[in-house]
Amino acid sequence: MNLTIFDQFLSPQILGLPLMTLAIILPSMMWPSQNNRWLNNRLSTLQSWFINMITKQLMMPINKSGHQWSTILMSLIILLLTVNLLGLLPYTFTPTTQLSMNMALAIPLWLATVLTGLRNQTTKSLGHLLPEGTPAPLIPTLIIIETISLLIRPLALGVRLTANLTAGHLLIQLISTTIIILLPTAPMLSMLTSIILLLLTLLELAVALIQAYVFVLLLSLYLQENV
Amino acid sequence: MAGHDSGTQHTFTGIQRYFNSYTITGRRNCVLATYASITMIILYFKLRPKKQTPALTEK
Repeated sequence: MNLTIFDQFLSPQILGLPLMTLAIILPSMMWPSQNNRWLNNRLSTLQSWFINMITKQLMMPINKSGHQWSTILMSLIILLLTVNLLGLLPYTFTPTTQLSMNMALAIPLWLATVLTGLRNQTTKSLGHLLPEGTPAPLIPTLIIIETISLLIRPLALGVRLTANLTAGHLLIQLISTTIIILLPTAPMLSMLTSIILLLLTLLELAVALIQAYVFVLLLSLYLQENV
Repeated sequence: MAGHDSGTQHTFTGIQRYFNSYTITGRRNCVLATYASITMIILYFKLRPKKQTPALTEK
């Protein structure tokens, strides 16, 4: 069976049964579970240190009332980091290449931040839609522009993650296909291309980490505005 | 993005007391007024009676 370049993005299934749920749940299950021991082993200590460090970084600029979001934001960043990194392995499926999944993460969380702001501090939330000191003739235009930029946030969040990961995976597949095809006919060119593939893989490693962080950071910024 | 409210430095009179781009309440009122205007325009175009063209009769 001939594979096209987009077959790596098909939703996984086995004998017609969808495996999407497993693809999303299993990466997070690979993390060691927390326990109540006073002194843990090295892996658990490292994990706790890592999670505490990121939680402090994310939650520092946010008010105390926003700290109840720390569980969900940390769970999200752990999920995205794990899923993105595991997707770099050959023949694995990356759930975050699916726009549906990323929009399903972005829209409810963004909407929750907006509704939190509208509920707890209505005047401030609505007032922020007009920048301070705007000249009078520009007021309606700027309000419309700010509203559009507010509504486009979840779309940007979802599409950013999808596009970055999809583009990276496609490039890796294209360049590796090039290397295989060039190997019998032009081995030197193939070796040069493999250096490009190595650099690209390192870039994709960074992109996987950064995109997960940026997704959660932007959500925390939206939360900061509304809390 | 908590901007400081510099509305205390300005003294507004008349309609500017409620609709200005300096105080937080002024900004909120401008936003609400803009949304209300857009809603009214949309409702006007949706609900206005459509012109009825007279039926053509064949001779």
